[in-house]
Parts: sequence; structure tokens; C-alpha cells
Amino acid sequence: MSGVSRRDMFRVLLGRGREEVPQAPPAAPVASSGGDELALILDRFCLAWQGSFCSVCSERCPEPGAIVVEQGKPRVDPGKCTGCRVCHDVCPAPRNAVFLVARKARGGMIGKTVDETRPEEPDHE
Amino acid sequence: MSTLERRTFLKTSAMAAATAAVSQRAGGAAAAPASDGIHWDKAPCRFCGTGCHVKVGVRDGKVVAIAGHPDAEVNKGLLCVKGYHVGGILYGEDRLKHPMLRRNGVLERISWDEAIDIAARKIMEAPERFAIYGSGQWTIPEGYAAQKLIKGGLSNNHIEPNARLCMASAVTGFISTYGVDEPAGCYDDLDACDVLILWGNNMSEMHPVLFSRFYDRKSRGEKITLIDLGTRRTRTTEFADHYMEFRPQSDLAIANCIAQQLIERDAWDKEFVEKHCAFRADADLTKPDLMGVAIDFENYKQRVAEYTPEKVSEISGLPVEQLRLLGDLFADPKVKITSTWCMGMNQHTRATAINRLVHGIHLLSGKFGSPGNAPTSLTGQPSACGTAREVGTLCHALPGGRLVAKPEHREQCEKHWNLPAGRINATPGHHTVLMWEKFCTPTAEGGDIRTILVQVTNPGQSLPNLHKLFRAKKGLDDKFLIVSDVYPTATTELADLVLPAALWVEKNGVFGNSERRTQQWFKQVEPPGEAREDVWMTIAIARRLYDLGHPGMKDKDGNFIFRFTDDAGNEVPVWEYDRFHEINVDRALYDDYRPLTFLKHKHLAPYDVLKEHTGLRWPVVEQSDGSFRETRFRFSEFDDPFVKKGNGIEFYHSTTNDGRAQIWFCPYEAHPEEPDEEFPFWLCTGRVLEHWHTGTMTMRVPQLRGAVPNNYVEIHPDDAREAGIGNGDKVVLATRRGELELSAWINGRGRPPRGSLFVPFFDQIRQINLLTLDAHCPISKEPDYKKCAARIRKA
Ligand code: SF4
Ligand code: SF4
Ligand code: SF4
Repeated sequence: MSGVSRRDMFRVLLGRGREEVPQAPPAAPVASSGGDELALILDRFCLAWQGSFCSVCSERCPEPGAIVVEQGKPRVDPGKCTGCRVCHDVCPAPRNAVFLVARKARGGMIGKTVDETRPEEPDHE
Repeated sequence: MSTLERRTFLKTSAMAAATAAVSQRAGGAAAAPASDGIHWDKAPCRFCGTGCHVKVGVRDGKVVAIAGHPDAEVNKGLLCVKGYHVGGILYGEDRLKHPMLRRNGVLERISWDEAIDIAARKIMEAPERFAIYGSGQWTIPEGYAAQKLIKGGLSNNHIEPNARLCMASAVTGFISTYGVDEPAGCYDDLDACDVLILWGNNMSEMHPVLFSRFYDRKSRGEKITLIDLGTRRTRTTEFADHYMEFRPQSDLAIANCIAQQLIERDAWDKEFVEKHCAFRADADLTKPDLMGVAIDFENYKQRVAEYTPEKVSEISGLPVEQLRLLGDLFADPKVKITSTWCMGMNQHTRATAINRLVHGIHLLSGKFGSPGNAPTSLTGQPSACGTAREVGTLCHALPGGRLVAKPEHREQCEKHWNLPAGRINATPGHHTVLMWEKFCTPTAEGGDIRTILVQVTNPGQSLPNLHKLFRAKKGLDDKFLIVSDVYPTATTELADLVLPAALWVEKNGVFGNSERRTQQWFKQVEPPGEAREDVWMTIAIARRLYDLGHPGMKDKDGNFIFRFTDDAGNEVPVWEYDRFHEINVDRALYDDYRPLTFLKHKHLAPYDVLKEHTGLRWPVVEQSDGSFRETRFRFSEFDDPFVKKGNGIEFYHSTTNDGRAQIWFCPYEAHPEEPDEEFPFWLCTGRVLEHWHTGTMTMRVPQLRGAVPNNYVEIHPDDAREAGIGNGDKVVLATRRGELELSAWINGRGRPPRGSLFVPFFDQIRQINLLTLDAHCPISKEPDYKKCAARIRKA
């Protein structure tokens, strides 16, 4: 095998492989804030996006179609996500890859909310 | 905020959160950076046979961080979800911390001295009725010590690893084809092949990091073809260029169809076959054996002739075009093909046959012996190859590829162990299914196994047909079950004596992965409570037997069979636990074992070389400059130092002693329990990505347990509709051996075709192996967990 492809192997993970993963239980789930949040999957932390494999969030999401999986990689459809947090609670990634962000502006928030910035590319490279 | 800014923001907060979590856990100041005070060392991952190497971060005596090892050739820094959480397996709340003895039905704490004494006395009562049951998770030194105790000390061959349930058929396939076990190729083939054929092998779920290695090429735009030959749609199917869904058991016909087409089209590799191969078949199909009889090419041709694409299409359900596509690929001399398989081919009532056939089509087409052309079996356990197969912890085997039935092999081991001639028993012991059947049969009715010592495995959940092979032990008062484990399991539920064990980096170890790679690690943290190393238990039991006067515990010169000395040559009584760590017992056992690997050219690297690497692939041969070189491609002159110059390819352990490999003919035969009116479904069982084997370790990691908390039955939507079953409904699944309540999963992770069901086996509460079949391959004795007849109804 050539040196080039050796170096290229798993290039998607360069940077990640050298990070340590804390071996600690996850934080306790936080109650849903009732629909004013939206899940976002951060490719940087998501196993499926990082060359490993995972499908847990899309399997456990109670909202049909809220997590769309293409070629094994999930993304959240903001139009269908209810912000129920299930995906966040079950995500087994070393650093939880699901973030819940506010749909409506909260007091004192700087910048726009996710809904206010729609439509745009999903949060992936 | 722009997308970019938002992303950076999220990244930063997540990093900070993780850093805080680490420092809180270690009791450090909240502001301390995550890496502060962490001592890093290396170890192979505890779980699967892929054999990824991890970096283990320890602070204040605890594993606090894990990272993929960036220098490891297997995984280049990547891990799967289990690997990232491997440190968590040490810290489940219910770790076993003290030896326990069952008195009046209750496990009560006892001392180690008592525990070892009780174990030894039980063995002493009837040494010939004692058995050891271990696994492919035994480290090499652990397996070697157990092997020496029972075969060299007790003159008893009743030792088996759970690898009998997992790799035994790959072994018989390799031995009857090449005369020697284990793959000729290695993972590098995945970097070079044009076509990867997965034979009933859900690689992205079971060997995820290995699949990434292949898939990464595809995502870079390389033209490579993935063929998924399977019996249900899986996570892997999504990445396949061709999904070929066949009727269970018909893989035999498909392989024969490829051979038929190669001959029919006159596209077989005549030069390769004439130089390097011979043909073979079973002498009597009703009594197949390992070696069979020679046949000539004409005979072979005649026998495969009936497997035309048209006929095989009827047997297998594959369209003729798909069968022809397979024929086209194997017929094209320019296409490099790698085949991989795991339990789909090995857990099969005709497992040896299908293994032989897949080797056969690679040999017949000359797709062998160059990078990218290889038939390669994958192992499920971290040391199925290293310990079970190489140390030979099987009832018929001796270390280094030797057999108990061969006088010269027994003699070599007796000499190596300095034992009197004739010490090793010439009769093979009981294979796994028989061992447990005998243990669960009353002594008066011929149940000739009385005491079993179980180490590093969970037969109470992993044996097939559990009512018959495990639970029937209950109430047999003269049977005694000794279990060494790290957590309470389905096996400790029936144990009479429980021994708390050290786990993974709580002890030294050496594992051997699927690609002949031997990997070493050192102890990095203390085991909890009174938990101790399995290898210590084995030696301590042997010493107690020595004290009780068992003659087999002495070598020819009257010395204890586990005699270890320090640098000054003084004997160290390592059976006394407070003296055990004075020397590296692992290293001493490994050094003693290593010369035994030379006979079959499986030369392992010296311990000191091993400890400098993230694993080396045997044969590891010393070079003229004193360095050691690993071998990636066996039997190929360009890489394997044992091939005579000018031979190109040489099968130097050929069963016919002429340097040739055997191309076998084996027919398609129906399964012994095909679906019928009463039980109309095929039932298949297996693993899931997040859990490993029976889940005793992964179910203690909250993230993994949370991701997949229980098992389920996958069912086709049409079958579900007909039975009135909705997604998530409780259903009752039944086979001839029992029934089980599960919830249904429609269009889930795996999608079985109509008439098929799938259930994972990790769930201790809903044990699917109460339902599975103990019918096994007549040659490898490996049971078929992948097929039996079942029915399902709404609960
Ligand atoms: S928050 Fe709930 S609805 Fe939204 S993607 Fe996650 S699981 Fe689905
Ligand atoms: S559960 Fe987490 S790691 Fe898994 S696919 Fe979803 S976001 Fe990615
Ligand atoms: S692929 Fe196997 S060896 Fe690698 S991290 Fe996952 S479980 Fe461990």
C-alpha cells in the first residue's frame, strides 16, 4: 500500500483521533422545554459523520422524518423536529453530538435564533 | 451569527464542558486542562477481533480518558462507539469484588484461600471429570496457563474456548484447504481490492473500524465495488453497490455456481491451479471428515456442473443476472477481489463446507496471494486467533497448531514442558456442546463432566439451546460450577463458586486479532476489591493441587509445573498473591510459549519487541540486522520469508505435502430445521454495534446501554401486518425449544425479508439463546445460531 493512501486513511478524523475521550457517565437528561428548542447534530462530534458508524438518534426519534439519514449520516429537519430531546439523551458519542438550540429569541440573546436564520444549509460540511 | 461563527461557538462550549467533566471526576480544580496529570499508555481495545489499539489515560489510579491510537495501523486513531467508551467497562457499580461460595442457595463471601482450596479439592475428587471453559478473550498467557494445567498437568483434554461457537469452522476451513490455520491475507487487502464481497458479513455493525477503512476509499471517489451477500438488509447494505439477498443456507449453492461459471466459461486460472492446487471432496457425505479424499479435475468439474445460474437462482432466490455478475467478476483476471466473512459462514450446519468453497473459488480464479486478492475470515473476539486458535485451547489441540491425536506433537509438548513421556492424553476431550450437555446430564445417566471452571466468558447466555445446555444444571447436586468473572452474569446465577476477576488494563495481557496481529499491554490500574488476575487463579489452583499431592503438578524433575524464577534464578512463589507481581508472569508464560509457535511458521515476536509496537503480524522473523519483520501476505514469495525463492506461491503446510492447497467440492444441502407450517419463519441472531457479545461489559456503560437498552425482534412490515403486529408491540417468539416475549421493530436497523426474523443476543433479561438450535457442523462442531424455524404472534 502506498504511503499516500496510508496518510490519507481516516483523514476525516485528523485532529479527532488525538483527542482524549473522558470516561465518565453522561450528564442527567434535562426536561424538554416544550417545543421552543430544535435539535442540531454537530458533525464534529457525531460518530456517523466522523467515519465511525451510528444511527441511534434517528432510530429513537419519535417524530417520523425529523432526522434524515443519507449514506449513514444524520441531519435534523428543522420543520419536523419538536425539540423533545430524545436524540440528545440517547446519543452515545464520546462528546454528545446533539445540541438543542432555541427557536425563539431569549432575553439578552446576541444574534439571531436558528429559526430566524432559516433557510440555509444544514449545519454540516 | 453566521453559520461558521455559530459552529465555532458550539465547538468551544462542548470542549469546555468535556474538560470540566474530566477535572470534576478526578477531583481536580475546575479550570485544570483535561490533559493535566493524565498518564498515557497503550492497549488493544477489549472488544472485537478488529483489534483497534487505544491510548489509555490514567489519573489517580483510574482510567479517565480513552483515545484511538494514532500510530496503530489497524485504526489510525479511529474507534467505534464501543471503543470510545471502553474505559467505562471497568466502573460498573456491581463489579464482583470478593470470592463467593453458594451455601443453601445463596452466594456468601469467602476468602481467596478458601476459594482456591475448594476449587482444587473439587478437581482432585475426579480430575478426569473436570473441564475448563474459556474464550477468545483469554489473553495468550491466560490460555497458555490453562492449557498447561489441564493437558500437561491433569492429563485431561476437556478444555474448550467459546471460540468453538464462533471460529471453529473458519479453522477447519483453513486447515482442510491450506493445512494450517488463519488467513493468508490481512487488512491491507481492503486498501488494495477492487471488489469487496461480504459473505453474510455485516461489517459496518460488527467490525465498524475495519469497514471505515474500506469505506474511506469509496468516499474519496475510488472506484471500488461493495457486494453485500446477505439474508437481510443491514447498516452495511446502505453502502453496497449490489445487495444480493439469498435464501438462508443457499450460500453453498452460490459459491458452487461461481465455480461452475469459471469452468463453463473456461475462465479459471489454469496456471495458478496447475502449479499450486489439487482437488478434494468428502469421501462419504453422511460422515464428512476434515481431510476427505483427492479427486481429479474432471470429477470436480462434473460435480459443480449442475450448479448453473438458472438452477442456483431457484435454490437461492438470487436473480440469474446477479449470479452471472459474480461469475463475471471472478472470471476477470484484472479484478482484485477480497472476500470476508464472520459468523454468517461459521455458525452454519455446513460451515466447514462453505468455508472451503469460498477458499476454493479464490484459488480456482487465482484471486489469491497478491494484495487485494484474498479470502479472509474475521474474528468476533479480541484474541480468538491469538489464544483459542494459536495457543490451541480446544479439546483436540495443543499449542502452535499441534494436535493431541499426533504422538509427535504430544511428545514435543511434553519435552518442552519437561514432563514425563505419556503425560498428555491422546484422546481429544469433549467439544463445547458435548461438554455442557454432559455437565447438564446426571452422572448416573452418563454425564461424565462434574466440575467446570469458566473464565472470561458467559456460557449461561451464549450457549445455544440454553434450557438443555446450561439451565438443566440446576438441581444436579454433584455438579460444581466455578465461574471467574467481573460482573454478575447469567452464568454466575448458577455458579457454586464465584471468583472476582481483574479486567483488561487491570492486568497485563497479550491478544491476537483477526489479521494475525499480536498486541501487548501492561497493567495500568488496580482491580477493585479483591479481584485478581485469571492467570493467577489458574496457577494458584495448580499449586493447591500440588500441595494436595496431585502427581501431575510436578514435572520430570519433581518441580512444580509453573516454576518461575527471578533474574537471580531464585524461584518466586507467584501462587502467593502478594508475591505474584514480583516478576512479570505474563512475560514468563509468553516467553515459554513463543518457541512452540515455530513449528507451523507462526513465529511470534519476542515480548520486548511486542511492547514497543501497536501489534505485529506473524510470522515475525528476525532479520540479519537483529530487527524483527512482520509478514502481511503469507504463502507469497514477495512477502513471506518461508516461501522458497522462485516458487512464487507455496503452501508450505499443504495437507498433501506437495506445496498445494485443496480446492474442495461440497454440495448444497438443506438445513436440518427449515421453516414449515408450524414454525414458518427463519430466525437469525447476532450482535449490534453498541453491545459486545452478551452485554456484560457494554451494558454497564450508560451511554451504550442508553443507546440500545434492550433487544427486539426485527420483522418485515408485511409479515407484521398479517400477524396484526405494530411497531413496538409486544410479541411472543417461539421455536421448538422455548418462547420469549420481545418487542417488534419494523423497518429498524436491520430489515429482514418476508419470512425472516432477527434478534440480538446481548440482552440478559430476554435471552434469545433459550430458543436457538444446538445442531452443529459435523466437522467443526460449531452450532448454527443463524438459522432455525420460529413462529411469532402478538402477545
Ligand atoms: S429533538 Fe426530538 S423530534 Fe427533534 S430530532 Fe431529536 S428526537 Fe427527533
Ligand atoms: S446518536 Fe449522536 S453520534 Fe449517533 S448518529 Fe446521532 S448524533 Fe451522531
Ligand atoms: S471496531 Fe472493535 S476493536 Fe475497534 S474500537 Fe470498535 S470494538 Fe474496539
